[in-house]
Amino acid sequence: MSRVLAIARNTVREVVRERMVLVLAIFGVALVAASQVFSPLAMGEGRKIVTDFGLAGSTVLATMLTIFLGSSLLHKELDRRTIYAVMAKPIRRADFLLGKFAGLWATTALLLAGMTGIVLAVVTISYHETPWVVLGALVLTLAELAVVTAIVIFFSAFTTPALTAFFTVATVVAGHFAEDLHYFGGQGGSAAVAGITEAIYWALPHLALFNARGLVAHGIAVEPERLLFALAYGALYATASLIAAGAIFERREFR
Amino acid sequence: MKHYRPIANVRIGADRRGGLREAEPLAILALDSLTKVYRDPMTLKPFTAVDEVTLTLQRGEVFGLLGPNGAGKTTTIKMILGLANPTSGQALLDGRDPRDPEARRRLGYLPENPCFYDHLTPTEYLDFVGELFGIEPGARRSRAGVLLDRLGLAAHAKKPLRKFSKGMTQRLGLAQALLNRPTLLVLDEPMSGLDPIGRAEVKQLLREERAAGTTVLLSSHVLAETEAICDRVGIMNAGRLIEVGSVPGLLSSGVREWEIAVERLPERLATEFRGEGHRVDAVGSRWIVRVTEGPALQDILGRLCRDSVFVHAVEPRRQTLEEHFVRALAGDERAPS
Repeated sequence: MSRVLAIARNTVREVVRERMVLVLAIFGVALVAASQVFSPLAMGEGRKIVTDFGLAGSTVLATMLTIFLGSSLLHKELDRRTIYAVMAKPIRRADFLLGKFAGLWATTALLLAGMTGIVLAVVTISYHETPWVVLGALVLTLAELAVVTAIVIFFSAFTTPALTAFFTVATVVAGHFAEDLHYFGGQGGSAAVAGITEAIYWALPHLALFNARGLVAHGIAVEPERLLFALAYGALYATASLIAAGAIFERREFR
Repeated sequence: MKHYRPIANVRIGADRRGGLREAEPLAILALDSLTKVYRDPMTLKPFTAVDEVTLTLQRGEVFGLLGPNGAGKTTTIKMILGLANPTSGQALLDGRDPRDPEARRRLGYLPENPCFYDHLTPTEYLDFVGELFGIEPGARRSRAGVLLDRLGLAAHAKKPLRKFSKGMTQRLGLAQALLNRPTLLVLDEPMSGLDPIGRAEVKQLLREERAAGTTVLLSSHVLAETEAICDRVGIMNAGRLIEVGSVPGLLSSGVREWEIAVERLPERLATEFRGEGHRVDAVGSRWIVRVTEGPALQDILGRLCRDSVFVHAVEPRRQTLEEHFVRALAGDERAPS
């Protein structure tokens, strides 16, 4: 376990020392603060707009950062051959991937938590009321980020950074519309199409499950059952993705 | 996750009658018909990078793996470390499969043209490496300090690695390879990027490691320096290990000629020696007579003494490892495959 933590800590250091992260963090803070601009147009719905816009912006930014950094994380190690010296140490390849996953997730989770904190602060200062229900949405989004991080690690275990980014974006977008895909697949009439869409539906991450931003913007708390179910699903999906990534990476040749 | 069965540190074999033979210590590194075939991703045409390499390293020896570019040295090393999987044959580190992390616990490795994390300082990097080896924080800090000092990096301990020169990176590479007090040290081109002082320091360090009982496998192009350090060398060409032996053994055909340096060689003797087929050259105020056979050397020395010619020195000229290497490669390329 200490080896996984060592890799994770090193990944956090690596990611945090990238200028891009700082730029995106500043952009995120500015985005959340800018949500204030729209509140006068919202005809009494300012609090909802600020919360909704702030949370959605933070999620998009954290997801983009995960995909952007994650797609090149492994490739950079292989390209610069920093991985050679590391993998000659008594560490399993799966532990290396797990460390990379943990490091990347920890970094983006910190960024997301920070931006959510700013949303809370902005709402509290402007409307003299702290929308604690936002924390339920934060927990769900953290679980969603874990799933996205595991997906990006899975693709990066066997393909190039550009393809990793492309496949991950495609999976994330399709994952948000998994229910629609399932519905339309069942409407076609063809058994083959219905079978294929059914298989894709189960393979895709059901990311809509993690989206409670609209709900909390209206001041409604996330039910504990939904929270627990989503967390269990997220843990299962991320674990399965990481196991698959580990199995592929175990066979990978370092040339 | 794949699990590897550890093998005991001794090999106990059965004799022909089914009884047990005396236990013998396992070689620290054993390669058995190690082969690696790559396929071109476009044409799928096979390319044999390493071809049936069989080799055993005994504890405490320094072994040099020599060969031109593309000979298969680095691929062999990658299979030894578990970074590449053999197509056939096997590599065993102290009796274990190198893909088993436990097999790499007492292994030190310096990659060719090493590259480390730019965002770290040497102290941070060595701390990271120590953590991967599971060394306690206090012990790894003190070991890192000793190694940074020993490799002349103590003054740069807090400098980001992105500002390191090639030579400094090479020194850090050696430091991280030595951090866990390895029993087997695998060095891929350890002299690369080092200035003459750095090379001398590395040679000294390798001598110290050998004295401490560490087994060293190094690949190198710098043959003159390899000759000075290695107990045995293996020459690779086109993926095959074409020759293995001790350095004195390989060069035993050895003395190619003797150089006799004399003061004021009489013209009569110079003419006689030339007439007998020996080379005689004037070098400054001295003369050099080159003799290729032992009996002729005895004869010439006798004649010089009789004529009261002052002999400054008699020096045997041996074949260098470089000359042997070039000859071995030329022989291998002429041989039918």
